[in-house]
Amino acid sequence: MYENWIGHALIAIISLLLMVYALTTGATLRGRIKRGSGNAFKFHKKYGIYFGTFILGSFIYGLWIRLQRGESILLSVHGKLGLVILLLVVLQVIPSLILKSRTRYRGLHKTLGYALAPVLFIDASWGLYNGVISGTKNLVLLHSVSGGLASLVLVWIILELLYPKDRSLSRVRVASYLAVFFVTAGCWIAGGYNYLTSYGSQVKPIILEGPYPWAHEIIMEMKEHVFVFLPIIVLALSITLSILDKDNFLDDAKLRRALTMISFLALFMVLLMFLTGAIISSAAKVGMEV
Amino acid sequence: MKKSATFIASATIAVFLTGCIIVIHDISPGFKQLLVSLTGHHWTSVSLIIIVLFALFSGLFSSSESMRKFLRVYNIGLWTTAMLIVTLLMIVGILVELTFRFLAD
Repeated sequence: MYENWIGHALIAIISLLLMVYALTTGATLRGRIKRGSGNAFKFHKKYGIYFGTFILGSFIYGLWIRLQRGESILLSVHGKLGLVILLLVVLQVIPSLILKSRTRYRGLHKTLGYALAPVLFIDASWGLYNGVISGTKNLVLLHSVSGGLASLVLVWIILELLYPKDRSLSRVRVASYLAVFFVTAGCWIAGGYNYLTSYGSQVKPIILEGPYPWAHEIIMEMKEHVFVFLPIIVLALSITLSILDKDNFLDDAKLRRALTMISFLALFMVLLMFLTGAIISSAAKVGMEV
Repeated sequence: MKKSATFIASATIAVFLTGCIIVIHDISPGFKQLLVSLTGHHWTSVSLIIIVLFALFSGLFSSSESMRKFLRVYNIGLWTTAMLIVTLLMIVGILVELTFRFLAD
């Protein structure tokens, strides 16, 4: 069961990455992001199809896991959101491939495309919550949803830094304040409070007595300590962005490249925390079943 | 922007020093007990230490030009590279230390 759940999560993570790429190429087509030398339409279509395929695969995988347990997929919020995502993806991909003239459909396609991003991140966070927690506090849900939103905001920061325009600095500042909020309030404080009040007394003993004690001894110990680096890195990024002036931001490519690297580092750490959280939750769940 | 790397440099040094504290507190039970006695939990102490270190170095670099020159804090490319290397090394270092300890037990 543990391996099945991780497989579902991995397919979902690949889907998230493909969605970001499809959104970026879509924004390029609409002129929101500067065009490169490649054929943006071709890439958008190609990666949109890959994204749809992975979402379908993720849904079927999730359905298979639920059926193995004899449960209906529509009993859970995660499953319902998964079905909504699948329907949105079908509405995105199929008309785009069938319609000869896409002019009238373009507005709806754009709206559904942007709506997919938050729904997919919330569902991924919810899935993490389901995969791990049932039985502990709702704070963990807030913790993982904040992580999902923080990663979404970090992707926004990266895109603004990679494709700067006149109003990019003001937008990237807002995005960085949101990132600080999600990482500090949602992830650090909520996660830390849960760790200090519930984890040690409720979850840790179950993991240590279960078949995967390394999930606490190595993974959780690493997560709890490595995590404290993240808010400081995001805070440093945000303060740096807030003291920049517009000319520096637009003209200094080296500066933007440096800030992009820091944003990638923060995103990598958020995803690492997601992965470690998933492993810990699964180990706790398996421990409870033993 | 002479001060653009101030906070990146401060965060890098804070991450490095906190990473060292984390590794030492895992190896030395006495040091871990000292951290526990500070706030009641070692994790809370580590969290407070990184905030204090970040604030301290940010204040130091913002106010002292000689310090900025000495540590080349005006060079954002250099400090970004340092931040990437330090953070990744600390993550790997903590993981390796914990793995060895688990296997040894």
